[in-house]
Amino acid sequence: MRRSVFPALVTLLVLVFLLSPLAVLVVNSFNASRFGGQWEGFTWQWYERLREADEVWAALVVTLKIAALSSVTAMVLGTLAAYALHRHRSWLQTAHGALVTVPLVMPDLLMGMSLLAFFVSTGVELGMTTIWIAHVTFCVSFVAMVVLGRLQDFDFTLLDAARDLGAPPWEAARRVLVPLLLPGILAGGLLAFTLSIDDYVITFFVSGPGTTTLPLRVASMMKGRNLPMINALSTLMIAGTFLLAALAFRLQRGRA
Amino acid sequence: MSRRRETLLTLPSLAWMLVFFAIPAGLVVAMAFRPSDLRGGAGEGWTLETLRTVARADYLPVVWRTVWMSAATTALCVTIALPVAFHLVRVAELWRRMLLLLIIVPFLTNFIIRVFAWKSLLHPEGLLTQALVRGGVVAEDALLLNNAGAVLLVLVYTHLPFAILPLYAAAEKFEMPLLDAARDLGAGPLRALAGVWLPGVRRGIVSACIMVFVCTLGQYVIPQFVGGPQDEMLGNKITQRAFGDRNLPHASALAACLLMAVLVPMLLTALWRRARGKEAVS
Amino acid sequence: MDDFLVIEKVTKRFGAVRAVDCITLRIACGESFSLLGPSGCGKTTLLRMIAGFERPDEGRILLEGEDITTLPPERRPVNTVFQNYALFPHLSVEENIGFGLKMAGVERGEARQRVARMLELVKMQDQRAKRPAQLSGGQKQRVAIARALVNQPRVLLLDEPLAALDLKLRQHMLGELHAIHQEVGTTFIYVTHDQGEAISLSDRIAVLNAGRVEQVDTPARLYEAPGSHFVAAFVGDANFLPARVLEVRHEGYVRVACEELGNPLACTALPLSAGQQARLMVRPEKLLITRERPEAGERVNVWAGTITDVTYFGAYLRFVVQAGETALLVQMANNRFASSGTVPGRGERVYVSFHPEEARVVAADSQG
Repeated sequence: MRRSVFPALVTLLVLVFLLSPLAVLVVNSFNASRFGGQWEGFTWQWYERLREADEVWAALVVTLKIAALSSVTAMVLGTLAAYALHRHRSWLQTAHGALVTVPLVMPDLLMGMSLLAFFVSTGVELGMTTIWIAHVTFCVSFVAMVVLGRLQDFDFTLLDAARDLGAPPWEAARRVLVPLLLPGILAGGLLAFTLSIDDYVITFFVSGPGTTTLPLRVASMMKGRNLPMINALSTLMIAGTFLLAALAFRLQRGRA
Repeated sequence: MSRRRETLLTLPSLAWMLVFFAIPAGLVVAMAFRPSDLRGGAGEGWTLETLRTVARADYLPVVWRTVWMSAATTALCVTIALPVAFHLVRVAELWRRMLLLLIIVPFLTNFIIRVFAWKSLLHPEGLLTQALVRGGVVAEDALLLNNAGAVLLVLVYTHLPFAILPLYAAAEKFEMPLLDAARDLGAGPLRALAGVWLPGVRRGIVSACIMVFVCTLGQYVIPQFVGGPQDEMLGNKITQRAFGDRNLPHASALAACLLMAVLVPMLLTALWRRARGKEAVS
Repeated sequence: MDDFLVIEKVTKRFGAVRAVDCITLRIACGESFSLLGPSGCGKTTLLRMIAGFERPDEGRILLEGEDITTLPPERRPVNTVFQNYALFPHLSVEENIGFGLKMAGVERGEARQRVARMLELVKMQDQRAKRPAQLSGGQKQRVAIARALVNQPRVLLLDEPLAALDLKLRQHMLGELHAIHQEVGTTFIYVTHDQGEAISLSDRIAVLNAGRVEQVDTPARLYEAPGSHFVAAFVGDANFLPARVLEVRHEGYVRVACEELGNPLACTALPLSAGQQARLMVRPEKLLITRERPEAGERVNVWAGTITDVTYFGAYLRFVVQAGETALLVQMANNRFASSGTVPGRGERVYVSFHPEEARVVAADSQG
């Protein structure tokens, strides 16, 4: 069949559309112009201002703490969930599966709203703990999906083989199942970590007055006057995302 | 013994999702029947008053706008994503990986940063506005920000990957030689695409539509930052009721409506798929 | 001696289905034994019960007099070569082979020696550091065998060991498996659906059908003297003709009536009596095609027919000969025609003949 260039052209335009706003952001973080309408010379001044913005760094620390805690929790819960879903077929797993997959297509707003209603009704004080709970709740599904994908490729006769060669059940799991699933679990954890850092909507609902994460801080800065500083901060965050994504890609490919 | 192991394996995630996902979602619905109290919580007793207030307040234009915006975003995203998905499965493995990475990276980039990127591009002194003015496309004093077009643009921007990824997954499973077979049997290229490829990736199209539609339904950040007061969606009203007025039952009632709007299409698709699955088996 | 591995009235149900239905088998030490049957006949379930992955609902499994019915797989002196080899993808060839020794707590130096010896046995010394993904199908197979044999099992179970290999490689590995069995002398139990494989690999074969044993015998006996229609049809090709017993003679000879094909003489192992319905079975290569009518002595059966199809296979030819209502499949070696010069062609009138001891009368009731 003669190959039409139309799909290739659309793909190219989509990539330009997706990437150029971010590219402009990065370039403008070195632009002396306040609004970035044109190039007014190279500068480090936005980065310097960013360095002195203590509230940003405080927010970063909070964000990383929450991301680390929630991704580890989600990794454990998500892996167990995926294993149960893969190995068993029952009404329990049907319900379990629905509970794990529905959050994937639930708008963040509803999740945030319902958790807020829940915390207010139960009288839990909003803060680090509530953000952690909220993040784990939406990350579990993603980890479970990644690990489930890995499990579908896993040949369970390998466990039979290990038993056949004299390994008791837990030893077979430790020596065969865990090493082969680990890249998937880590990739899921990494995804959870990224999602946790990224989240604005849900965090907005469940954060208390004292705890501000980085996206919340950026949003409040957007209403202020320090716009070029956001460019600088964004550039650093995009670089971070790139690194994490590359790492996750590596782990996913580690199957061969 | 296997039964006990299954329970032990399932319990942690099941309990967590039950307590922090299912119960809160049910709570939102329940709270819609509660009176509001002045401290921002829910009062005692049950009432239909909240729902009546919601029905009385003039939400209809907002609901209409929310649905309209979501539908438009869905249509645009899927239309753009279809040729991309088609192209992705045609190119060599290495290219495909790279293209996918390039599509996923903006997707993983902080959501609020992506909104900010567009806000600054569309700003009267931003690059895009300046370029368009210099190119003579728009007038000097044109305002690209704070209108429905800007909201739609950023909605498409943030949700495009939600359409591309499921469509790509479906297109990858499609056997491309079928297209050659259709051509061989006399179908023109467009006929072959419309008659063979589109039905082949039907499931992907449905998934993409649901993902995009459901996610845009709950949007409030984008209208808040790049739209004007006349572009507000249901999500904006919910946050205003929850944080501005501190009226949690009122916000819950709105959220409950949204929840229904989300669950109904999902349920319908699930039923449709089950019916189709049965059909395929018999 | 015959009681090395005893499977005693073993039954396994999956829901309402009896996958294995009261099977009893006795396997001798050092024997090469095959479980042969179509898919779903229960052969794999039986193998999994010997390995310990499934527990019988009824019956016992005894190894050297010891009851191992309820022992978990890791505590049985039995190892398995899995159908798709089930090599650990994250371990090297050497680590794969050493896995069982590590589990058994064998001292490291000794383990290394034993692994080296195994690598030598399966001729994989040069591949020791590779990962399974880097190996060809035949090499994976050898590693799987080495990984099982290194533990010096009392019984080696091989689940469709050649199914994943292509035809050429399959024939080669057939020879190697034979050689390995000769060298180590361990009891081998094969599971296979391929009768050719079973025939060339084993001392004895159990033919399984619908969870039951149809016949246990040497390959030659199964082929030459099948006890049932099912066995005759499953092991090798055969012509079957409906037949009615006319007369039972001494030494297992019977004369049967085959409708328009007359009353040929054949052999049987069954206790038949006159008037009984049965089937006459003749293997295609036992039939002889001639242009002239062979001298019809008392012991030669002759049918006249017309060739309707000839297929050339190189070393041999296959004919379809229409004799009355019956289409007979005949296979003849190529060199059989060397003296006459030409191969009979389509439409030619020929005679098909066979000796009574080359035809068997089998029971009509067992379906195939």
